[in-house]
Amino acid sequence: MVTNQNPGTFSDVGESEEGIKTQEMLLNMGPQHPSTHGVLRLVMTLEGETVVNCTPVIGYLHRGIEKILENRTVMAGIRYMDNADYLSPMLNETAYAGAVEQVMGIEPPKRAQYIRLLVSELQRIASHLVGVGTYLLDLGAMTPILWAFRDREGILDLFEALGGSRFNVNYIRVGGVLHDFPPHWLAECEAFLNQLEKNMLELEMLITGNEIFEARTQGVGYVDQQQAIAYGLTGPMLRASGVKWDLRANRPYGAYREVPVKVVVRQEGDCFARYKVRMDEIIESIRLCHIAIDRMPGGPIGTRTPIALRPARGETYFAIESSKGELGVYFISDGSEYPWRAKLRGPSFVNLQILPELLRGHKMSDVIAILGSTDIVLGEVDR
Amino acid sequence: MHNALIVAASEGFWDGIWHGIISWQFLQFVVAFLSFFGFVLTSATLLVLAERKIMAWMQDRIGPYHTGPGGSLQTVADVAKLLLKEDIRATDTDKAIFFLAPSVFLAPVIAAFAVLPFSPYVGLPGTALATGIVYLVAMSSLDVVGVVMAGWGSNNKYALIGGLRAAAQMISYELPLVLALVGVIMLTSVLDPSGSGIGTISVRGIMDFQVSAQYPGKGIGIWDFIFQGFTPWSWFFLVQPLMLLIYYTCGLAETNRAPFDLPEAESELVAGYLTEYSGMRWAMFFLGEYGNMTIVSAIATTLFLGGWSGPGVSYLTGLGSLGWGFLGNILALGYFVLKIYFLCFIFIWIRSTLPRLRADQLMQFAWLILIPTTLVNILITGGIYLVMHEIGLLNDGNAWFLVVLGVVNWLMLFGFIRLVGRAVVASTRRAQAPAIRARQRAAVAAQLAERVSTPASVATGTPQ
Repeated sequence: MVTNQNPGTFSDVGESEEGIKTQEMLLNMGPQHPSTHGVLRLVMTLEGETVVNCTPVIGYLHRGIEKILENRTVMAGIRYMDNADYLSPMLNETAYAGAVEQVMGIEPPKRAQYIRLLVSELQRIASHLVGVGTYLLDLGAMTPILWAFRDREGILDLFEALGGSRFNVNYIRVGGVLHDFPPHWLAECEAFLNQLEKNMLELEMLITGNEIFEARTQGVGYVDQQQAIAYGLTGPMLRASGVKWDLRANRPYGAYREVPVKVVVRQEGDCFARYKVRMDEIIESIRLCHIAIDRMPGGPIGTRTPIALRPARGETYFAIESSKGELGVYFISDGSEYPWRAKLRGPSFVNLQILPELLRGHKMSDVIAILGSTDIVLGEVDR
Repeated sequence: MHNALIVAASEGFWDGIWHGIISWQFLQFVVAFLSFFGFVLTSATLLVLAERKIMAWMQDRIGPYHTGPGGSLQTVADVAKLLLKEDIRATDTDKAIFFLAPSVFLAPVIAAFAVLPFSPYVGLPGTALATGIVYLVAMSSLDVVGVVMAGWGSNNKYALIGGLRAAAQMISYELPLVLALVGVIMLTSVLDPSGSGIGTISVRGIMDFQVSAQYPGKGIGIWDFIFQGFTPWSWFFLVQPLMLLIYYTCGLAETNRAPFDLPEAESELVAGYLTEYSGMRWAMFFLGEYGNMTIVSAIATTLFLGGWSGPGVSYLTGLGSLGWGFLGNILALGYFVLKIYFLCFIFIWIRSTLPRLRADQLMQFAWLILIPTTLVNILITGGIYLVMHEIGLLNDGNAWFLVVLGVVNWLMLFGFIRLVGRAVVASTRRAQAPAIRARQRAAVAAQLAERVSTPASVATGTPQ
């Protein structure tokens, strides 16, 4: 007969009235699983299909990025930041370069700041598109992810024209950016954004009004306002719970000091709100991109920095609003070419903490719905 | 023994073989059997290709295009690959159950084809079966045994969850599926020309009600050619549209297609009960699933969409010549397959549009919405007939009954769509209760002093 009785995977919890024993089942979800967004492993205790307990096990994608940064010169380290949150490399680079600039006390020229804003918002759109697309794929809809990736492809093409690489762009530099725009790049970007606006309407029409989608997400994975703050959530996770906190607006950096951001907030605090915040942020990002293109100042794209970059002794914390939340870099320099320490505050890592709390008591299918709505990137969780 | 052989080998034996086995009927049976068996298998491969191409078209991509012209041989290559794959079994699986499950799943699907009328003359002997609907329903409910066997025998937790989900789902949706068909069967008993009030549950019989009706024959060649035996105004979906919708929805659930594909939800359960299967055994499940899809569409076609009826069929077969009759049969076959594939196209369309339901929502939908609706429909169908009969409106034919029932049912269809929408809103509102409370709390908090989250130094824009 079937030998399902491996020790430790089933444990008796009680007997029903008819004398049938009920058992809790230990289920390993991941690290190889279609919808754990990489290599997250969830050790879940199930009773029937209800989750009794859940322990996320992380570390399967640990590449020691923080240690690598210590062993690379500051300029060489920027490239490794691409791999932390591999869905938004531009934002990671901005955070790292920003931290170095802050410890050196230099300010990039206006044009560089606006270019950074433009590519950051494009990157945010790309990241949110992946988040929404994969979320819908987790829920069983196949079309949205392909439409989302089609649009993301346009952004990657723009990045390729800009930095020479589609994914790990390595474009931001300390004190500025790598290249100025190639010819016609801004016009192409404008055309792409116009097309994207139409495509977003189409995507919204496909997903948002859908009764099944609403039934799957509304009221599921509810995070209280207090709870969200207590767990240190940031980004769409926090804003979906009704807390108006966006570093672009509350602690503006770079060109955001001149370009005001309309912060998207929703009060529901459930999976649907998190999805909707992402969708609305894409719209908002498109608007910011248009503003950046319109106001793009002339001038140099970077300050002159020495080839052997030696930040002065000192330490600083610089945080930007990444697509997932507050992406901070704690940078300690001992005056050499190498950072003494560069600690990343990855929003995915912090947002993941609330997962066991959220999953308890939900059905097996909701595990996917909730995990997808947190939109974590394991590259940033494990670093 | 010898004697018997000698006797049998005499004149009468060969005669018997000639007339019994190598007879015209037997040849017809063999041809029909082989072509239908072939239809199940080729239809599955065709559908897989069609699904990939259609979904690619809807998703703004190309789909398979390397193998053969335009990718048309992709599924052939896939089948060849599956046939040649190693037959793998994990160590701790229950060998007998694990190996048997695919056959248990596939056999009823092929068996169900026996009662489908493909054209006026071509059909397996099963088409004459007086209890066709019961047979079809029985065959489609046998599938669940194979699924549960696969889920249990695989000795895999994901497979087990998938198998149990499938069992619950397929059994629940069997009920509204059958109840939806009852509405049509009641119609046949009302429309029975002999006036006996006894309907039919033979598939061919139900189809004939939609084919033979209401065209008096004008004597104009082109009109006769088109409308003889092709009377779309007498198809049952006009009278019972809601039942077609419910039947079709249950068909989606029966075949484990999106949005009811929970048993093999790839993002949750890896592949559900198919997790441990590979190669030909996996292909058998796959085949059975697409065969099931064809059968659900075929039943919907025969019961609601007039089966093989279409312009020219009855006219050509009625001419009495062998050649024209053959052509008419081919036409009928074409219409039938076309209608089936049209419904399959809707299957594919739905799959590329909708996300997946949750297990408890799935059960709620079946037990709280579909079953009551079908029961109410049966009640209304019978009630309308009873009332109209008592008033005496039906003395000169059933036309008014059909009109009234049709109007009521179309209204019920729109009411049903509204109802489902409202039910979803209500249930999600209940689910959102904590969120609603939070919103109220937030509204109260907004009236209090707003919490300033930006320190003045930052808000003024000085560099950090």
